[in-house]
Amino acid sequence: MTAALDHRVGGVEPGPDRTPMVAVDACTRWFGDVVAVSEVSFALDAGVTALLGPNGAGKSTLLRLICGLVAPARGTVRVLGRDPRRDIDVLRHLGLVPQQETVFDRLNALELVELCAALRGVGSPRDAAAHALGLVELDPADPRPLPTYSRGMRQRVKVAQAIVHDPRVIVLDEPLTGLDPRQRRHMTDLFHQLGDQGRCVIVSSHVLEEVERFGSNVLVIVQGRLAAEGDFRAIRDLMDDRPHRIRIRTDRPHHVAGRLLAERSVVGLDVVDVDTVIVETDRVHDLRRSVAVVARDEGATLWEVVPLDDDLDSVFRYLVGR
Amino acid sequence: MAVAVPPTGTPEPASELADAAPQPSRRGSPPGAFVRLYGVFLRHLLTWGRATVIVALGGLAVLVALAVNVAANEASSTTDPVTAGTELMNRFGFTTVVPICALVFASSALGDTVDDRTLVYLWLTPVARWRMAAAATLASATVALPLVFVPLVLAAAATGAGGALMGGTAVATIVGVIGYSGVFVTLGLKFKRALVWGIAYILIWEGFVATASETAAKLSLRAYTASILSQYTGVGLRLGTLTLGSSLLVPPLVALAFTALTARLLARTDVD
Repeated sequence: MTAALDHRVGGVEPGPDRTPMVAVDACTRWFGDVVAVSEVSFALDAGVTALLGPNGAGKSTLLRLICGLVAPARGTVRVLGRDPRRDIDVLRHLGLVPQQETVFDRLNALELVELCAALRGVGSPRDAAAHALGLVELDPADPRPLPTYSRGMRQRVKVAQAIVHDPRVIVLDEPLTGLDPRQRRHMTDLFHQLGDQGRCVIVSSHVLEEVERFGSNVLVIVQGRLAAEGDFRAIRDLMDDRPHRIRIRTDRPHHVAGRLLAERSVVGLDVVDVDTVIVETDRVHDLRRSVAVVARDEGATLWEVVPLDDDLDSVFRYLVGR
Repeated sequence: MAVAVPPTGTPEPASELADAAPQPSRRGSPPGAFVRLYGVFLRHLLTWGRATVIVALGGLAVLVALAVNVAANEASSTTDPVTAGTELMNRFGFTTVVPICALVFASSALGDTVDDRTLVYLWLTPVARWRMAAAATLASATVALPLVFVPLVLAAAATGAGGALMGGTAVATIVGVIGYSGVFVTLGLKFKRALVWGIAYILIWEGFVATASETAAKLSLRAYTASILSQYTGVGLRLGTLTLGSSLLVPPLVALAFTALTARLLARTDVD
């Protein structure tokens, strides 16, 4: 079993009677001597999945593999059960926001999105383009060529062209780059709505605050390998080698900490203030149950019990730091 | 299908997207895809900078032709105007102007989309790759042809060699532009710095290797344009030994073959 599978939680397992919307099986791709993606396997269905990884981890290569823009050296990629590299008909159902900022510099927004709609077989491409631009809060009647647009506006045009043909699989490579906070929120809502409507939405980002807003389902890629897949909270629970850190605020921190230590609910503790102790435990569920009992028995008042490292940022740091 | 366009600045819930977007047809290239691609390539290719360079080159051809005409008509001259004009058009028009012009446009048709990474917007569509290749080749020829045809025919007229040279120049220009466009679209897709590679091809292959043997000449487009000129004017030209029929037929077939090669490369290329 690979390291990736050690942290697989809640992914879509391809079964004999159902086909995942996106299935990547033992995919490897290298460029020259550099292995960009190595033995990556996962399957995704409807909903939003965040693809996480540090810069250079292989996120963009993985997204390009999913779209068929590059061929895997080994392994297979299937989108809606078909090979996107060989079966171009599946590209009708695939939308991509590429990472690069460049767009056709002699077209305006409506012309670009209309072109993409027409080439993907949409019956009324101009109407569909106007509608898609409206969804990203851009004016379809704006005649200015795309180079005059701000970075954020071009980014929104890229999103519009990716959704204009109502694809079932939407791949977004750093889609929030250059957007202001209000637009980020609007886009995040849009991606959620698309996922809720049964589309498979894959979003890559290295900004964890953004990713947390996309939801809890993540793929974490580190040095070309899939380090974890699934709900990041469940992934955190599976990290046996990383004790959970929990801050407890109480009027009797020494007593509470001592009892927890005696009961072997914690493996380490640090009294950091007159009313605060940080404990480390590898039995977090037991601790959650016992801390209130211990406090009651010790006559202590509990003010706060806060996990310090089960957020996405901590999970990501642990995975990357392995 | 009519779609309600939301007012600017008013986001519409994505749930309406599915209702608004017409469902794509099932299989095969979308109708009208070729015309759309052709139009995009045309707009992309025709820039003032490129057009200025080509028109300047054509203008130079006209000036040189006028000079040749003056020289040939001097009382002391022993040069026949038809021979002088035909050799000028062969040496300058069809070894420089036509291939360079085709190179400038055709190598940019797909090459620029690779360089600026916009190919992804065209590639990630269910359009048959041969249609993309054919649209790029046709657009290149469409832009290049009038920009060289007019000045070269004017240059042929300016030499004073008569209608035969003008006719030969016109036909050879059309045939040459089509052939070279096919070759250089492929070159632009395959190689970075395609202009440099193209110039090397024109100088080394067309200008040097082709003169080494008859077999090598048949693998050079220049031999076919030279043969057309030679057949029209009756002036013997180096490399101009092929029949008119083969000279008219082979360059378009070369363009077709290279279009097929471009389509194959498109299907196999890694897209950024």
